[in-house]
Amino acid sequence: MAPPRSDLPQGTLDLLILQIVALGPVHGYGIAQRLRQISRDIVQVRQGSLYPALHRLENRGYLAASWKPSDTGRDAKFYRLTPRGRAQLKEEAASWARLAEAVRLVLRAAPGDAS
Amino acid sequence: MSWRPRWWRRDEQERQLDAELRDHLERQTRDYVSAGMSRTEADRRARMDLGGLEQVKESSRETLPFRWIDDLAQDLRYAARSLARSPGFASVAVLTLALGVGANTAIFSVVNAVLLRPLTLAGADRVVIVWETFRSFTQGNASVGHFHDWTEQGAVFEATAATVRTSFNLEGDGEPERLNGSLATPGFFEVAHIAPALGRYFTQRDVEAGGRVVVLGHGLWQRRFGGDAAIVGLDVRLGGASYTVVGIAPAGYDLGAGSPELWAPLIFAPDQRSDYGSHSFLVMAKLRPGVSLDAARADMERVTRGIAERHPEAMESRGVHVQPFREFLIEDVRSQLLALLAAGGFVLLIACANLSSLLLARGSARHQEIAIRLALGSGRLRIVRQLLTESMVLAGAGGVPAIAFAWLGVGLLRSAPMPLPRLQEAGLQADVLLFALTATLAAGALFGLAPAVRTARADTPGRVRQDGRQAGFSGARDRLRGALVVGEIAVTFVLLVGAGLSVRSLLLLQEVPLGFDPAGVLVARVTLPAERYPDGAGITNAVGRILDGIRAAPSVERVSASSNVPLLGREVSAGTIAEGTDPGPDESPDVQIRLVSEDYFETSRVPLRSGRSLRASDMAAGVPRVTVVNERLAAILWPGEDAVGQRLSAWSARAEPEWRDVVGVVGDVRTFGRAAPVVPELFLPYTQAPDGAWNVFQSSVVLVVRTAGEPGSVTAALRDAVRSVDPALPIYDLQSMGQLLSSTLAPRRFGLLLLAWLASAGLTLAAVGIYGVTTYIVTLRTPEIGLRMTLGATPGAVLVMVLRHGAGLALLGIGAGIVAAVLVTPLVASQLFGVSPTDPVSYMWGAAGLLGVALLASALPAIRACRTDPVRSLSGS
Repeated sequence: MAPPRSDLPQGTLDLLILQIVALGPVHGYGIAQRLRQISRDIVQVRQGSLYPALHRLENRGYLAASWKPSDTGRDAKFYRLTPRGRAQLKEEAASWARLAEAVRLVLRAAPGDAS
Repeated sequence: MSWRPRWWRRDEQERQLDAELRDHLERQTRDYVSAGMSRTEADRRARMDLGGLEQVKESSRETLPFRWIDDLAQDLRYAARSLARSPGFASVAVLTLALGVGANTAIFSVVNAVLLRPLTLAGADRVVIVWETFRSFTQGNASVGHFHDWTEQGAVFEATAATVRTSFNLEGDGEPERLNGSLATPGFFEVAHIAPALGRYFTQRDVEAGGRVVVLGHGLWQRRFGGDAAIVGLDVRLGGASYTVVGIAPAGYDLGAGSPELWAPLIFAPDQRSDYGSHSFLVMAKLRPGVSLDAARADMERVTRGIAERHPEAMESRGVHVQPFREFLIEDVRSQLLALLAAGGFVLLIACANLSSLLLARGSARHQEIAIRLALGSGRLRIVRQLLTESMVLAGAGGVPAIAFAWLGVGLLRSAPMPLPRLQEAGLQADVLLFALTATLAAGALFGLAPAVRTARADTPGRVRQDGRQAGFSGARDRLRGALVVGEIAVTFVLLVGAGLSVRSLLLLQEVPLGFDPAGVLVARVTLPAERYPDGAGITNAVGRILDGIRAAPSVERVSASSNVPLLGREVSAGTIAEGTDPGPDESPDVQIRLVSEDYFETSRVPLRSGRSLRASDMAAGVPRVTVVNERLAAILWPGEDAVGQRLSAWSARAEPEWRDVVGVVGDVRTFGRAAPVVPELFLPYTQAPDGAWNVFQSSVVLVVRTAGEPGSVTAALRDAVRSVDPALPIYDLQSMGQLLSSTLAPRRFGLLLLAWLASAGLTLAAVGIYGVTTYIVTLRTPEIGLRMTLGATPGAVLVMVLRHGAGLALLGIGAGIVAAVLVTPLVASQLFGVSPTDPVSYMWGAAGLLGVALLASALPAIRACRTDPVRSLSGS
């Protein structure tokens, strides 16, 4: 039985990608694999939406890409974080943390605590 | 690193995208294989995980900046290819659209020149005409006294001017020429100001120096003087006197046929200053900046009330009216032009409906293609955009020939016998081209949007079928096409009713009896300049000798002269009273006055109702004053009595009556044309002209010659007779009465022709629409028809079934059209004669015609349907 999986909240995919790329240059398939590993199969990104997201981030200048030789013997497209991407990651991570904290607080408040 | 922007390097991007995704698939497959899957299974799983290579690519492409430029270029290429593949469809569509837009652009160019574009006069929106009103008549000319008081006591005007239309005999080299001109006070060129093309305009100082100066119009200067600048400062001979040319007016003063070609100063005699009784002058004025029309009206009413207090006798039932000049210029043609513009718009709407319908049909034919593209990951919006691009390409392709059609149309309209001011300014200027562009794009969006949306919604991916034909069938699409056809039939019906009403008006008009016999009559006007013919005796003496000369020519049956003849204009009227009555100021009838020679009624064949005609003996000096009246005047002055033997006084009737005997009554004549009512008329022997009358008639008479043969055959005799009396007298308005009659109907005929042309264009398009939709339905229902025939339906029954479908659409359209026509036609009531805007005959003809055309248009598909081979149609589907 596969563990239950959650849908990815809107906009979170970009944050996750930036976070993964921040660990070091990586190609698209690698990002997909790491996403799965990091989130322990709870969050599975549909691969169909990974590439458009990567290209969007690249077009916005958060990611830079270059073709380098890889273990398959052919060149693969490796992504790395740009300084702008790093700043964006910091900001989005902070904003996510604020949101998560707020949600956690709300959820923790038991019905009786309100009065 | 390339210097080119990223969106430009499309091939490179495509290659990289492909390589990246293939790399991904390869890695995934490798991982699955090492997890123990077979190579084939691993490959399949990897592809499924990715979710379709082409779809991922398409989503990725959409993230590119400037993506829309790529899309647009791609759509354009695709649209061009797709249209090139169906040249028949494309050319029908392009031609339909070109005709629709072309006709509209041509009509718009005229409306733009005449109604919309501002006059070229400086501050044209401040130029007004100040009229004297009389009873319900709001556009009366003003007296000299009024002009001066309005000018001096008014507080709202920057400048004022009095003008009067006149004609000049231009003598000199070659044939003397009769010119339309204007006498104007110097203020005219301030009120209606455009900088002179050459030289200067005349001023008050010229007037004080005797006023023998003239400003030539641009057209005259070009035509008669070859545009030679040296003419300024030289003298020209006008009516026997020398005038110095001080300047040339620019072309902007040319307001179309009949507008003045030269201007000379209008100079009032000192005693005219206190004349409030003769209403001869057109008073124009320019409002001070910021003065509203209402303020001007209030001010003029104040001044005019003052005049009425000082001169109550002259101001009985008179008042003042201020009208913007522009409104005055266009008031006669406004409704006709707007009606034509509306008719043109209707035709364009019909064309759009047809194109929509064509595109819908094409949409179902392309169903499979669209479904495949949807399956390959194209967004629906993307497909709508692509289809819209295609209709825009179609529209754009139609726009080019549309301009050519418009160019032809403008030429046709400019040669129109319509008295349109500034018609010659109509052309394909920037604003007209902008209109064409807007109309084209609007049409493209209009006819493209619904089919595009409908087509893109047609089917879902994954339902790509082997047989695209069946997939195209959808009830909603049929309803839309049906609605389009019903709509275009309704609009066509409105056009047909409009054309029908115009035809009926014209037919009824042509049946109106004229009251005289125009066949075999030639007319020509001569003016005897006051310099050489200072009094009535001089004029009638010369005219008498001209008449003698013409009478002596062979094939001339009768000849006479009159100050006016029907339809030629220059009418003069005066209040008239019967002896023994003392009508109130508002009751004395305003009567058209004619000065005629003997034989006038016989020459024109105006029937004598009682008494006698005017004889040669009435023309002698010293005989009793007599007159002949028409039936209308007799009925007004002496209702129920015999007019012969009564006495009346015309001209200065109330002030100093000049009684004369009524010796005869003649039949009524349609002096102002068939569309205008009969007016009371009074005929005086031209030797008995009241004081000052020849001045009012501008010393001008019309020669009327009746011949047994062609009217043109006596032209030479007429010219010779005039020349032998005075070689410097020009002859103008020379034409047969028949020509004159047809020229009065010409504007109506032309409008009718245009409307008929537009209506038949609409009808043709509607027929094409009905044909198209019926053919489509028959194709869709072929299996059903085959089944019916197998089950025993006769071909006749099938024929009726299909025809009934066509007739049903037509009847629905006609029903909607009747409602629309009842709402629309009253707007053109002013252009109709003798028929009501809801004339049942026109409506019935329109309905019958449309129904007939609908049946004809569905007959072809119906015949095809009843020839259906039942076996083949059933097995074929």
